[in-house]
Amino acid sequence: MPDSAAALTVEGIVAGYGGVPVLNNVSVAARPGTITAVLGANGAGKTTLLRTISGLVKPRQGRILVDGANVARRPPENIARAGVAHVPEGQGVITELTVEENLRLGALSRRGGSVRSAALGDAYRRFPMLGERKKRPAGLLSGGERQILVIARALMSAPRVLLLDEPSLGLAPRMVTQVMDLVRGLRDDAGLTVLLVEQNARSALAIADCGIVLNLGKVVAADDAAVLAADVALRRHYLGF
Amino acid sequence: MQEFVEFTLGGIAVGMIYAAIALSLVLVWRGTRVLNYSQGGMAMFTTYVAWVVIRDTGDYWLGFFAALAAGLALGAFLESTAVRPTMGKAPLNSVIVTIGLLILLEGAAGIIYGGQYRSFPAAFSIRGLKIGSFGLGISEADLFTAAAVLAAALALFLVFEYTSIGLRLRATAFSPGVSRLLGIRIGRVLTLGWALAGLFGALAGVLVTPSTFLYPNSMDAIFVLGFTAAVIGGLDSPVGAVIGGVLLGVLLSYAGGYLGSNLVLVYGLAALVLVLMIRPSGLFSGAATRRV
Repeated sequence: MPDSAAALTVEGIVAGYGGVPVLNNVSVAARPGTITAVLGANGAGKTTLLRTISGLVKPRQGRILVDGANVARRPPENIARAGVAHVPEGQGVITELTVEENLRLGALSRRGGSVRSAALGDAYRRFPMLGERKKRPAGLLSGGERQILVIARALMSAPRVLLLDEPSLGLAPRMVTQVMDLVRGLRDDAGLTVLLVEQNARSALAIADCGIVLNLGKVVAADDAAVLAADVALRRHYLGF
Repeated sequence: MQEFVEFTLGGIAVGMIYAAIALSLVLVWRGTRVLNYSQGGMAMFTTYVAWVVIRDTGDYWLGFFAALAAGLALGAFLESTAVRPTMGKAPLNSVIVTIGLLILLEGAAGIIYGGQYRSFPAAFSIRGLKIGSFGLGISEADLFTAAAVLAAALALFLVFEYTSIGLRLRATAFSPGVSRLLGIRIGRVLTLGWALAGLFGALAGVLVTPSTFLYPNSMDAIFVLGFTAAVIGGLDSPVGAVIGGVLLGVLLSYAGGYLGSNLVLVYGLAALVLVLMIRPSGLFSGAATRRV
């Protein structure tokens, strides 16, 4: 399903670690300014899909188009520079650096000091909590604060596509709601294209426009979020709610 | 009293040289988790560059800066050609490659320049300074050594803390995977780290060689003591490297002065073993785990 209007198109990806492929002919297209939920049980290949898109895993077959350009098999730093920001599971805050240094790091791939400092100003306006803690080592932040920091850091590069891996993992329910509202806001206010991997299918589908369901490395369903959420059989078999 | 002052100040001066070697090892270790066994060989080789330039032009400072430039270039060259392919492989690969580079550099120096001992000039007088009739145990050349290493270390600190290059260097050292996802070209950053290490090695070589003579193995003992200083400071910590260098220099100066100077290298090794036994992560390292 090559979709020329898509911000991100994954076509027929085969990828894995060593022998048996984890992803088997996976395709997904994300239209600009939408949230696409990537759902499925543990081991379905959700994280591997994000890692393949951002270049951490080299696909054996298939194409990955970002704004029409094929980035498959490029090194991660080049894919990041092509506009893909990957927020990995377990967050990836650099704990030895301060909050501000973590944020600045996100903009280093952009040219021009004024562009970078403007991005920093935007981040503090959007997330005043980070501004209050900017000189603090990032290792001292709570889990929820770290999640906000890594998303803010990803935004510093002005990405075309944001890949979020389990942003609600390990967070208190109140923080889950806050993070999901934040993701929704990124789409509504900034027009960002988001690929959202979630174990928590119910809260992901609540904010997503469409979704795919992975099972054992294959796409078993791809539809509008409302349709997926209403499919009782699908929910019982794959989504667990 | 006079002896004590002499030993202390003299120890600090020598310690600054250990500190420079230790800094070069820390720069590489932080970025790549490689212990660069060829660091002494690199320092020796770049000192020969200075020696040739000084011999041919008669200008000490031309030779001094030629060595620093050669250190930068040699570090970048070795990283991008020999060390890069060992990244992501078993740690032993990089150990063998850097030991191989050491043998290569020492062999090449012997072939190109010969094995004989060459005298190497100092920038300033090596006559001991005195206040009245009170000898300080250090010379103008020692003062220059201390000032040069301190200035270079301070410059390094400012670059690390306050520039975007420094932020890249630190981020890559702490978390190369995250750095790549943020679009940082870590290959270039690692090359830069090795180049800076080559620069500090060259600085140490040029500063220490007036008192050791220049020959293909001339930096071997200095490397061992620089490594000891780096371990004392904790291989991760640039500040620790400088403090470790000075600490080791002063301790060895006391040991050599009061106990006899024949066994200084042995005392250095004893200090290394002691630190590894009591506090293997070093005195200043924040990290608790170590792979080697």
